[in-house]
Amino acid sequence: MRPLLALVALLALSPVPAAAAATTPTCGEPYRIDRTLPDGARWTMCWEMRNIEGLTLTQVAYTPKNGRAVGVLRSASLAQIQVPYDSGEPRYEDIGALGAAAIPLRAQDCPGGERPDQYVCVTTRPRGHAYFKDEPYASAQGDDLVVFSAFQVGWYTYLAEWAFGDTGTITPRVGATGSLADFTTTPAYGWPIGVGRHHFEESHSHNIFWRLDFDIDGRSGDRVEQYDFSGSGTTRRTMRRTALTRETAAVYRPMRWWRVVDYGVRNADGHAVSWEIDNSGSAQYRGPASERFTHADLYVTNYRACERLASENPTPRCADSVDKYVNGEVVRDPVVWVNVDFHHVVRDEDHDPMPTHWQGFHITPRDVTSTNPYR
Amino acid sequence: MAVGATTGALLWGHGLWQRSGPEAAQRAQRAPEPGDPLTPQEIAAASAAATSGFTEHMAAGSLDLLYVERDDDKAATSRRAEAYLYDYAHDRLIVRTVDLGTSRIVAERAASGRQAPPSQREEARAAVLLLADPKLGPKVRQAYATAAGHRLGSAADLHLQSLIYPRTPCEAHRCLQMFVRLPGGRWLDTSRIVADLSAKKIRSLEW
Ligand SMILES: [Cu+2]
Repeated sequence: MRPLLALVALLALSPVPAAAAATTPTCGEPYRIDRTLPDGARWTMCWEMRNIEGLTLTQVAYTPKNGRAVGVLRSASLAQIQVPYDSGEPRYEDIGALGAAAIPLRAQDCPGGERPDQYVCVTTRPRGHAYFKDEPYASAQGDDLVVFSAFQVGWYTYLAEWAFGDTGTITPRVGATGSLADFTTTPAYGWPIGVGRHHFEESHSHNIFWRLDFDIDGRSGDRVEQYDFSGSGTTRRTMRRTALTRETAAVYRPMRWWRVVDYGVRNADGHAVSWEIDNSGSAQYRGPASERFTHADLYVTNYRACERLASENPTPRCADSVDKYVNGEVVRDPVVWVNVDFHHVVRDEDHDPMPTHWQGFHITPRDVTSTNPYR
Repeated sequence: MAVGATTGALLWGHGLWQRSGPEAAQRAQRAPEPGDPLTPQEIAAASAAATSGFTEHMAAGSLDLLYVERDDDKAATSRRAEAYLYDYAHDRLIVRTVDLGTSRIVAERAASGRQAPPSQREEARAAVLLLADPKLGPKVRQAYATAAGHRLGSAADLHLQSLIYPRTPCEAHRCLQMFVRLPGGRWLDTSRIVADLSAKKIRSLEW
């Protein structure tokens, strides 16, 4: 009995906060990612290569340096890549079975990192100055934990990347590289590549959707808010908060951002823990009426397991696109769908192998720690 | 290559998308944790359970198992798999949820006019249809021979990849838009054709 007593005593001396248990990912090797970045911040999560969505990260939790673990995302993945060409056709929906399209990664494709499976890279990457000031002198460098996979979809190679910063930031982005489709079109719809003005390569969009099931320390208590700052051509800017209590299709505007907040989870200052979403980098493609899922930049829906893709949803007896998931339900457990579009007007530089063009958005902690997360 | 349902129906785990190699072997050696992807054994068990009652249809080629996905419903209390099946005769997508503890089907959803992404077995069948097309087949073989410097061995050598084509004339049928990269990196121009797996033929698109 003595060892057991000793164990009980030890547990009593170092209590494990309830939240820590809830944020421990329930997956084993090689699917568990547990990385402490050079500055001391830690990210834990599970990865899975799903047949349809490809690289999917689940049970994502962040532990700030000297802080406690907080659950952020229950699940995060791509939810569609729509590629409509400017002449109107073709219009591809590039999420086929992404799992089968994953490209085996070589060591050089995963610099400084590890490949828990030949299709996934987990690495750490410097992010430049974390902060810098001259008096009193203070300077530090920041790092990201990066998880990525590459997929071959038709001519394109897509790099699906997730960067998790030591300050709690999450930067999902997709790089498009590989080869151009080589569609010849008229000058109205393309750009001349190759010698002279004979081959007009067709312009097109890459409209990418991500599905983010936020669970800030569990699925209850999460709310989504939209922030606007009114006042154009005036000296004052007034903040307006709109609680998105019902499912919403939201359109981006300058000075508009959103946050997922849990008023039941507070930092040491008593402020509600939240993650802010900035989707300012989209070309805001809007397709025809038959493609209403392209008509908003961010959707908030109440969690439903059958709602997986932003369009061409593969589940029978469930709505088939994200615009239809928005049907007036009260949002008790929000899922956020982010749409970032890139209009690709081809350049001479895009000759094979086409240099990667990136598109993505930013998720930033707001009041997760009560002070600079590096201190 | 024999892409028929006879081989496919019997060899669970071989026609399905799954990874072989050291990782798969490692996976096979321990019981899965709740958040782990499906193990090859679980995929095989879910496939067998989900296709029970469909064996004849599968042998006849009128129905096929596309793939098995882990059911990640956060309300689920047990480990479950979702088997995606397609009924080409009635153009219905069927998703059967299998409880991996009991190997029983616990839910089924089916719908017409709904598509899930193509499976690798379907892509193999699309390659066979493409080569069998009286007009396009010889052209594909010719393009392949020119690019490779030798004759095409089998349909599998095309390494055909695909996406679902959901619009006219394929609103009701299951059609695959195909991508074929020839040896040397050139692509076959397949942008205006689709493989209609419901009608078992190649169709042209009008645009
Ligand atoms: Cu492009």
